[in-house]
Amino acid sequence: MQASAETLAFLRDVRVFESFSDPDLTILTARLRAQSLRRHQILFREGDRGDEMFIVLRGTILISKAVTGKVEQVLVRVDPFDFFGEMSLFDGSPRSATAQAETDVELLTLGRDSLHAMTETAPHAAAKFFYAMVQVFMERLRRSTLQVAEATRWGLEATGLDVEAR
Amino acid sequence: MQRPSPAKFELLVRRDDDEDFELRQVASVVGYLNSRPRRVDEGSYEISELRSRLTVAPGFILKNKTTDRFLLLSAQERFLWDQMDGATALQEIATAYVLKYGEFDFEIIPSLLRKLQRAQLLTFEPRSRLRAALARNRGRVLVKALEFALTALERIRISSHNVQPFFQALYRYGGFLVFTPVAAIACVLLAVVGAGAAHILFRDVRDMLEGFGGHALRGILTVKLLFFASVALHQFVHGLACIHYRRRVREFGFTFLHGFVPTFYIDVTDIFMASRRARFVTAATGALVHLVLGAVAFIVAAKAPAGSFTQAFAAASGIIQWQALVVALYPFCFIEMDGYHVLVDMLGIPTLKHDAIAYVKGLLTGAGRVREGGSEELLWIGYVVLSTLSVAGFIAFNVWIIVSATH
Repeated sequence: MQASAETLAFLRDVRVFESFSDPDLTILTARLRAQSLRRHQILFREGDRGDEMFIVLRGTILISKAVTGKVEQVLVRVDPFDFFGEMSLFDGSPRSATAQAETDVELLTLGRDSLHAMTETAPHAAAKFFYAMVQVFMERLRRSTLQVAEATRWGLEATGLDVEAR
Repeated sequence: MQRPSPAKFELLVRRDDDEDFELRQVASVVGYLNSRPRRVDEGSYEISELRSRLTVAPGFILKNKTTDRFLLLSAQERFLWDQMDGATALQEIATAYVLKYGEFDFEIIPSLLRKLQRAQLLTFEPRSRLRAALARNRGRVLVKALEFALTALERIRISSHNVQPFFQALYRYGGFLVFTPVAAIACVLLAVVGAGAAHILFRDVRDMLEGFGGHALRGILTVKLLFFASVALHQFVHGLACIHYRRRVREFGFTFLHGFVPTFYIDVTDIFMASRRARFVTAATGALVHLVLGAVAFIVAAKAPAGSFTQAFAAASGIIQWQALVVALYPFCFIEMDGYHVLVDMLGIPTLKHDAIAYVKGLLTGAGRVREGGSEELLWIGYVVLSTLSVAGFIAFNVWIIVSATH
């Protein structure tokens, strides 16, 4: 992908690339791949193999996890400047949730090979990337904890379970 | 503190075309309306009509046979209870209620659900407050060890469910004599003589208990052991009464109550389906065991040489037996013993203690909804006041005994 001024400006606002210098961003941009999804198109399903992460350039992606039958719980909406799919980027594990375009979407894709290459050619930039990624992981872990509490609250309210009376 | 808005889930529901979907936000209130409360299995509860002296409308008494908890249900609540089959949603239950009664009380369903949950008739409930407190502090090694020990003790339960033939034989071969007028007269006479003996003995408590002198530990252990045996006898008589009224004794056994109180127990809940007189006799006769044993103990103490171990032992046993009688029969002491069950049966308010404590707590703290002026409210206040005074009196009496014996 060519490092246009527009793309560089976009990447500067992506959380994990905030600390990158312009030369690092230029190298990174060369390793990114553009991808388009039409509305409701599924990017990957829960359980699929994968080794890429995605940055949303335009549109919205829905991340959902199967609950029962044809019902899935929406875990999060991914908006422009945010990213998803990073877990498989690191460990190559099956996708833990399904990603589907809620609207027409444009994405930037970063593959594991590109990440490895960046580690060797621009280790300083890679270190910044990993540091930012750890912070993002921690934030998402906290959000998951809140989601568990919220799910519990939902269950208590939905069942009318009287736990305070004890 | 501001109450948070109802929790919501966002769900993605796929259509036949795999990629096509619909997003739905499901608020917890929707889940609540669609929830399908299910009462416990049929064998786990009993329900019977009960007429109260306080209210004109008939009520129903619902018993959890596993936990021995009772609930009083109104006719409307009984109707709702019947709908809670696990297949009918709350919304449908509410609709059925409106169709039947032509009106809707917005509080009745949540209130009933809370009552049923408290009585463990809808969901499984945790154990005592002590266990809940221990569970909260499980991180501490000592607490964890204590919790483990209590759990292990709680698991000790020696019981038999096939006791009906045994109690029938016991009744046939002499147990029936307990329920004759002669036995009743003998009981009264024994009580009078025992009270007389106690009166004489109590003129000088100190001399009487001096016999424990060098054998205090032996004395205490023996008195405790005898009392423990009398608890078993107490339960046996409950069983005999149940047989007397041609009802079934379901279980007899030994366990550690709350994990640390060793006790015998008997399941005579079948008597609940008999007449009120039968329930009263069953409750009262068990406790009368302590009257008889206490009277005998006092008579023995009065006849024993003054200051001897026998006199001290018999007198101490007599005191404990009669205290047990009072505790068992006296309903106002915050303990749900035989007398309490007789009282609530007569009043037709099975949840008297719980309601009374909750009401007075509300009055004192200003929390909750406090109603005023009704006969039930007066009864609740009376129960708490009498119980508080009684417990204080009971403690004062025991302190007096100890002080009299040691000074």
